Amino acid sequence: MSPLEAQQRGLLDLVKGRGAPPHDPYLKRVARSRELAMVRSIALWWRAYTLERQCPFTSKLLRREGRFDRLVADYFDANATSPFAEEVSLGFLRWLEAEEAPLTRAVARFDRALVELRMGASDDVDLTWDRNPGDVFAAIESGARPPSAEAHCLYRMRILAPGPGRIECVRESSRARG
Amino acid sequence: MAGAAPEHTSRAGPALAATYEGDDAALLAKIASLVDVIEIAPDSIAASDGVRSALRRDVLDEYQSVADDVDFVAHGVGLSIGSFDGWNDDYLRLLDGLFERFALRWHSEHLALTRVAGENVGTMFSLPRTDEAVDLVCARVDRIQRLYGVPFLLEHVIQLLPDPPGRHSPAGFINAITARTGCGLIVDAYNLECDAHNQGLDIDAFLDELDMAPVREIHLAGGVERDGFQLDVHSGVVAASTLALGEKIAARAPNLGLVTYEFLKEAVPLIGHDAICAELARVRAAFAP
Repeated sequence: MSPLEAQQRGLLDLVKGRGAPPHDPYLKRVARSRELAMVRSIALWWRAYTLERQCPFTSKLLRREGRFDRLVADYFDANATSPFAEEVSLGFLRWLEAEEAPLTRAVARFDRALVELRMGASDDVDLTWDRNPGDVFAAIESGARPPSAEAHCLYRMRILAPGPGRIECVRESSRARG
Repeated sequence: MAGAAPEHTSRAGPALAATYEGDDAALLAKIASLVDVIEIAPDSIAASDGVRSALRRDVLDEYQSVADDVDFVAHGVGLSIGSFDGWNDDYLRLLDGLFERFALRWHSEHLALTRVAGENVGTMFSLPRTDEAVDLVCARVDRIQRLYGVPFLLEHVIQLLPDPPGRHSPAGFINAITARTGCGLIVDAYNLECDAHNQGLDIDAFLDELDMAPVREIHLAGGVERDGFQLDVHSGVVAASTLALGEKIAARAPNLGLVTYEFLKEAVPLIGHDAICAELARVRAAFAP
């Protein structure tokens, strides 16, 4: 490995918070520096700025839960993030679909559908919610606590392409079905 | 590829340019009447469909609407000319698209890298001032100068991380590249002020050592200080000290052709259209002979 490659790979690991502590004297100096923290904070600020504009509902929900900045940092560290707003947003939203919380997964999937439709997706998107999505969005917008999951019912939402803008949603009772 | 651009400049002194990144027709109309050149950042006017990126046609159409009044230059972010493993071909594809649409006066890129091993780093790293880096950059500059039939300029970037060990001084590193390749140079007055603030750069010594003949363009911008660091975020008007430094650089640059006031699209609401226009008039007056 050339000195240039070693230095660039080392700097990437430091900015991404990855890998073992460096042995190289220069990289050790960078690792201890205030400058590294500043560079990293700028990189994370831009990712957060992008995500707040591209994925507004997910960002607001996560901010309300106090998890947004940490999840943005976790995603940035663990993934090769795209310089393009659409791609970094899709990557982040797909990554969130592994979240345990059903509400986070559902809101992320909704935001992802809107991003994909803005990018020209031509297929309708079907989503299933365990609580009234209208109430969820109203709570997110107002900063209120989102509603809890509703027992024995589902909300089936269809986002119609080309969009975004046309959304249908029906409530289904599992008791009625069963 | 379109041919060399016709020059709209008719005034004495260097031409005046401003950044424009789309989606603000009112701003474009205002600045197009005040500048000679619009700086286009191909990366900033590109969008991805999830598979590949492409220049946004609506923004290209915006530029087309003022093409009778101004020239264009391209100023890239994403070429990553200093990456050990190769530059970013996707950026060149965007640049090709821009050349197909417009005659560019020249194009430029940062003397830096934004990717490592194919991964976007989320920021911009400067290069160590070593012979290895000089050799790598020169080979790529030679290649890019053969690819496009207009001048290619490099811009020095701020050194925010601790300065890596290297054989060359900051100016000597740039001189080694411009001397070997014959490429042009952008000197960014605000970047120099950031390096002076953050790294203790002696600007006068830097300018004394720098070969000024390749300098074709000066960049001016405003930024912020945060946690003791001066940051090149292009978010404000040009400080009096930056403008004075720009004038000092211009006085030493015999081949200067362009002075560009740079501001991020995201900063336009903060700065305001009127302040941007006033800034362009201020810069024009400062560089008039």
